[in-house]
Amino acid sequence: MSWGPHLLDVADLTPRELGTVLDLAEEMRGVLDARGRRTSLQGRTVTTLFYEASTRTRVSFETAARRLGADVASVSATASSVTKGESLLDTVRTLEALGANLLVMRHARSGAPYLAATVFGGHVVNAGDGRHAHPSQALLDLFTLRQHLPGRSLDGRKVVIVGDILHSRVARSNIWSLTACGVDLWLCGPATLLRGFDAWARALPADRRLTVTSDLASALREADAVMALRLQQERMSAGLLPALAEYSARYGLTAARLALARPGVLVLHPGPMNEGVEIAPDVAAGPASLVTAQVANGVAVRMAVLELLAGSPAAGTPA
Amino acid sequence: MSPRLGETCQRLEIEDAWIVDPGSTREGRGSLLVEGGRIGEVRWARRRATRATPDLLVLPGMVDIHAHLRQPGNEDAETIASGLAAAAHGGFTTVCAMANTDPPLDHAASLRDVQRLAGEAPTPVRMLAYATISEGRAGTVLARLGELSDAGAVGFSDDGAPVDDGTLLRSALAYAGALDRPVMEHPELRTLTQGAEANEGLPATILGLQGWPRSAESTAVARALGLLDEAVRAAPPGDRPRLHLAHVSTAEALDLIRIARQAGLPVTCEVTPHHLALHDGWLGGDRRWAWDAAADPWAGAAAEAAPYDPATRVNPPLRAPTDALALWSGLADGTIQAIATDHAPHRAVDKHVEYGQAATGISGLETALAVALEGVAAGLADLATVVRALTLGPAAVIDPPERATASHELVPGLVTGAVADLVVVDRRAAWTVDADSLVSRGKNTPLLGRSLPARVLLTVAQGRFAYLDPDLA
Repeated sequence: MSWGPHLLDVADLTPRELGTVLDLAEEMRGVLDARGRRTSLQGRTVTTLFYEASTRTRVSFETAARRLGADVASVSATASSVTKGESLLDTVRTLEALGANLLVMRHARSGAPYLAATVFGGHVVNAGDGRHAHPSQALLDLFTLRQHLPGRSLDGRKVVIVGDILHSRVARSNIWSLTACGVDLWLCGPATLLRGFDAWARALPADRRLTVTSDLASALREADAVMALRLQQERMSAGLLPALAEYSARYGLTAARLALARPGVLVLHPGPMNEGVEIAPDVAAGPASLVTAQVANGVAVRMAVLELLAGSPAAGTPA
Repeated sequence: MSPRLGETCQRLEIEDAWIVDPGSTREGRGSLLVEGGRIGEVRWARRRATRATPDLLVLPGMVDIHAHLRQPGNEDAETIASGLAAAAHGGFTTVCAMANTDPPLDHAASLRDVQRLAGEAPTPVRMLAYATISEGRAGTVLARLGELSDAGAVGFSDDGAPVDDGTLLRSALAYAGALDRPVMEHPELRTLTQGAEANEGLPATILGLQGWPRSAESTAVARALGLLDEAVRAAPPGDRPRLHLAHVSTAEALDLIRIARQAGLPVTCEVTPHHLALHDGWLGGDRRWAWDAAADPWAGAAAEAAPYDPATRVNPPLRAPTDALALWSGLADGTIQAIATDHAPHRAVDKHVEYGQAATGISGLETALAVALEGVAAGLADLATVVRALTLGPAAVIDPPERATASHELVPGLVTGAVADLVVVDRRAAWTVDADSLVSRGKNTPLLGRSLPARVLLTVAQGRFAYLDPDLA
């Protein structure tokens, strides 16, 4: 498929399509560095519809939209009629009637943007749905890794994602995009938070490399980049994990553990971080950390996404 | 002059059809005459191997022992009249209505209300009704099973939910055993399914849906079998505790049931058409039948439909293609007695929502036969096995053959002199499943838009017209 009309999942994108967005994001990076603007979305309305709290993703999309000349409208679940029991489909139809051309949507339920796309005549951008996908995050991770890896190449690099893989939309999206780019991807965490992923690894075609392990040391050995995921308190009450301290002791990303990786290993985190839980403060703020670069690149990548979608044929009024 | 629904079938000649009669275990080419609401004559043709099998199929009227008719309480989703009309369109002449209405069928008066509504419906399709196991379906106190049995309850079930309390289920088995009524348990260990959205497997992992483990069914089945074993051992002479397990969906649960039956336990079970033919790949947009997907599950990644179709959300969830194959084996070896639709109509507003919030259930009365015949065409079971599982098999679940009073009433059979209770199907006539072709108010089926073979042309129940294809009318 080519870009558009929606961006619901990175699984749909070929390496070539991934390349298209990264190259455009590079251009956007230049625009941002020059404190410039573009006019590609002038006269269009980008509406952010967030059913889940988020600071960075929402601000990042809204900043990106403004930099492209779009009008921006924000709807959050707590401030709208959503709390009065309005259905998702009614909300989406209402927002379209109010002039939304691009709908940037965050939802706690996997698949919700697919439902929105069945009725929305413009472009739906998935800004995170449940555990399923976070396409713009995966794209900015890809962009940031490419920017910082020697030779700007991901092919054959060992990248490790550590933490709550089971509940992570970031991990799922990164599985698609990183393995598509030739990364030797490792998923690591307590066994209860890896459930099902080994079967996924075994089902992938032979040209995609994915390894699943609960052994952090083997995962980190010779790694080129490590991404820590946020660990949420709910996992303890759900009976998936013992105490937070035990998690931190066994899977927390510390300087000592990072020494197992290649010298110059890159450290990423999609945020927000629980410093002292999944990542030690000195690692989070250390020289290897790309956390702030990820945030800055997020705007450029989202500008590229919005511009590509806006330039693609809209879904139109579905039958 | 076209006959009207409900009118006695005075005279009907069906020439050169393939007739399947599990009662007499006869199957073959022949012609059939109905006169005055009874089978006048069945003429079996002499063997002539040179001619192709006729497309016309004549079967006994089918029996569905698991359907949600939604009345009282949710008439926007279905009514007894609309559900029975849908049943006739599907080729069913008997439907056992589930008790999880609102309010539930937990008192004789409410049971009599639905029986009256069924009697007033214009269709001759019979409706029998279950009563609940527990008061209010709350799972704490036994309903008045004796009174309900006297009022005509065909069995007892809290279906939609399991009986979590082991003591209560054990008591229900013992008490219903004295009434010679089966207890139908919905096997689900709910501590394993809190928040579960889809079968725990590759599609759910990829789609980020919370897994619904297979062990939630197998552990519940193991528990129920253990309780049945004790109830049987402790039963006073003459009492006959019986357990029926609803909508078995996993190979593991089926294995446990097979072992229990081999050990002589009085347990029966059913499978739904959707668990026989669909699989969890459908959540990702795969639209192949389970038997086609089993050989190559990953090809499902090349999806034909959009993912997360809420019509695929059902309890128990659609399982792996290999489970479907195991269920077909269970039908063939007799571990499974019945194909039951678990017809679960829902309003569009309860379905067209986020996947994990969508009401569970598939509208299934009208597609069951076509789907089962697809399996026959694919060689997974022979026609006689499938027809038995849609007629005598389910009739024997609610009324075992050794007693065999109701079985004869429900499936009179295709023999001279019997009350005409039959369905005529054109195996080659395709029809499209859509909102217009479905008679049920529930349009919630993942088969929507699909062309299915095997069109029901005519259904006769209790000697009267129940359904007539519009092109014939």
